[in-house]
Amino acid sequence: MMKRLLLASVAGLIGMPQAVLAQSASQSITVAYYGGNWGEAFDACVAQPFSKATGIKVVAEIGNSTTTLSKLQQQTGNAVIDVAYMDGGISEIAEAAGVLAPIDLAQLPHATALQPQAAYKNGGHVFAVSAGYYSLGLIYNTNEVSEAPSSWEELWNDAYAGAVAVPSPNNSAGVPFVIFLAGAFGDASESMDATFAKLKSLDSGLLYDTSGAASNAFQSNEVIIGAHFNVGAWDLIDAGLPIGFTVPKEGVWATDARMHIVKGTKNAEAAAKFIDTALTPEAATCLAEKLYLGPAITGVALSADIERKLPWGSGGSIEDLRLFDWSEVNAKRPAITDRWNREIAN
Amino acid sequence: MFTSRLTLLWLLALPVCVFTAFFLMPLGVVLISSLSTQDGQFTFAQYGRILMDGYHWQVIGVTFRLAILSTLICVVLGYPLAWYLVRIVKWRNWRRTCVILLILPLFTSNIVRSFGWMVLLGRTGLVNDALLGAGLIDRPVRFLGTETGILIGLVYILLPFTVLTIGNALARVEPALEEASRDLGAGAARTFFSVTFPLTMHGVMAGGIIVFSMAISAYVTPALLSGGKVTVLAMLAFQQYSTVFDFNYGGALSITLLVFTMALIGFSSWLARLGAQDMKGN
Repeated sequence: MMKRLLLASVAGLIGMPQAVLAQSASQSITVAYYGGNWGEAFDACVAQPFSKATGIKVVAEIGNSTTTLSKLQQQTGNAVIDVAYMDGGISEIAEAAGVLAPIDLAQLPHATALQPQAAYKNGGHVFAVSAGYYSLGLIYNTNEVSEAPSSWEELWNDAYAGAVAVPSPNNSAGVPFVIFLAGAFGDASESMDATFAKLKSLDSGLLYDTSGAASNAFQSNEVIIGAHFNVGAWDLIDAGLPIGFTVPKEGVWATDARMHIVKGTKNAEAAAKFIDTALTPEAATCLAEKLYLGPAITGVALSADIERKLPWGSGGSIEDLRLFDWSEVNAKRPAITDRWNREIAN
Repeated sequence: MFTSRLTLLWLLALPVCVFTAFFLMPLGVVLISSLSTQDGQFTFAQYGRILMDGYHWQVIGVTFRLAILSTLICVVLGYPLAWYLVRIVKWRNWRRTCVILLILPLFTSNIVRSFGWMVLLGRTGLVNDALLGAGLIDRPVRFLGTETGILIGLVYILLPFTVLTIGNALARVEPALEEASRDLGAGAARTFFSVTFPLTMHGVMAGGIIVFSMAISAYVTPALLSGGKVTVLAMLAFQQYSTVFDFNYGGALSITLLVFTMALIGFSSWLARLGAQDMKGN
């Protein structure tokens, strides 16, 4: 008897949230995005305007890209998340894992302004739409480096020996940065021997795993020049630190946060409408102001102060960004990581 | 008899369940993935890849060097500290204060403490500033990104464990035994090495094993203080799990670390037992 009661109450507990969800399904959608200031910005710039315009409530499911992907994989067949934000790289893995639904751009009125690079296609269908770009630019301490470096070669300048920061393969930018440098220095070989030899000769101070560690090292003057995300760099500059951010002549590697519609969503129409809201100039402007995300749509007018903080720097455009095919980066990741371990982190 | 055994069974049920669910199961998952190929076939290939490769032996070497040195330094520094706390300090409140000061850092996170060392040991940190100011060096010494830096961080974090275990052992040594040794004509040094030290050996061993096993598996301190330029086995395993997503290779790295650690701890306990038997034999 006791046992049966227990079973019944457990079953009730499990069943309850689904019943609640089903009831409110018509008035709410669940959107997975990141935590911290990114989450706050997505909420203020996209979710709130969307709710205001449609009356549909947005339930936030907070997590980084990898966590979101594993949630999507666990809920195949019974999708709880309707729209998922994930970074470039993870986006391709999600598509390969078959957890995404095609996005029909023809149904999104604002998609006409979308940059051609910003719609990611697999075969004939679009599986992801960019929510905005960020880049790994060159940042430097303005007290120690008097003039904005014009080339990535400056990292090898003897004056900065022992005080250079670059991302390690443990950082999402690490492996693409190696591929980017190979391109920037004209090393077209499959083996990238020349690039690794050059990296080996770099007298670095920090090979960082997290972008927080890089910000910390620039703040404490432990390093004075290096590669860092435009978002992190401008946070330091806005805090009043003597830091400069620049896009050297070889360009910068960049990637983006992307939006996806989850396969099996019960709110396909609302999900499409949510993405359409994110493609409005108002949303793009808001994200550019809060996160310095480079808009993925045309026709966004920004102030000069925001303009220079974008991933392509002042006067630049999306053309200055080196956007890689992430499938290729992911394919090369184990080999580049292994070689880095042996030759650089040693 | 029967009822007490049943009670015992019930009492044990919870810890056994917790141990199985949160320790044995995850460990089993790691072990199985380390013995599988990507598509689930049984293989020893991952272990071959690790053990047949000089690079991995070098990483294992760095890992064990750091752990063994941390252990030795912690024991050598911890013994006098424990001696001071147990034998020299007479005033109880001061002893209490010292013990609190000793264990206080254990209440803050490893990450915070390691960041503290990054500030102190940095290129423009306090240590380098002081050395430069005193004219002892003319350019900053590099601590971060070296084994020395990691060692300093590990010793700082693990020292309390040896002080506590050795102090505990010292407090239990019967003063009469030392007095007898002195009465029989042995000097202070002879008394210490023949009487006191052997009697506290179990405290030294316990502290040493705690420090060694924590140092060998440490991830946060080496990862932060290495600046990405020194690699220990735990970092390599974490990298495979978190960024390369090769759970088979990552799992094999973890099991390799576990097996080597157990082997070394087993070997040192065997040595200690042998030493103890020798002493009895004499």
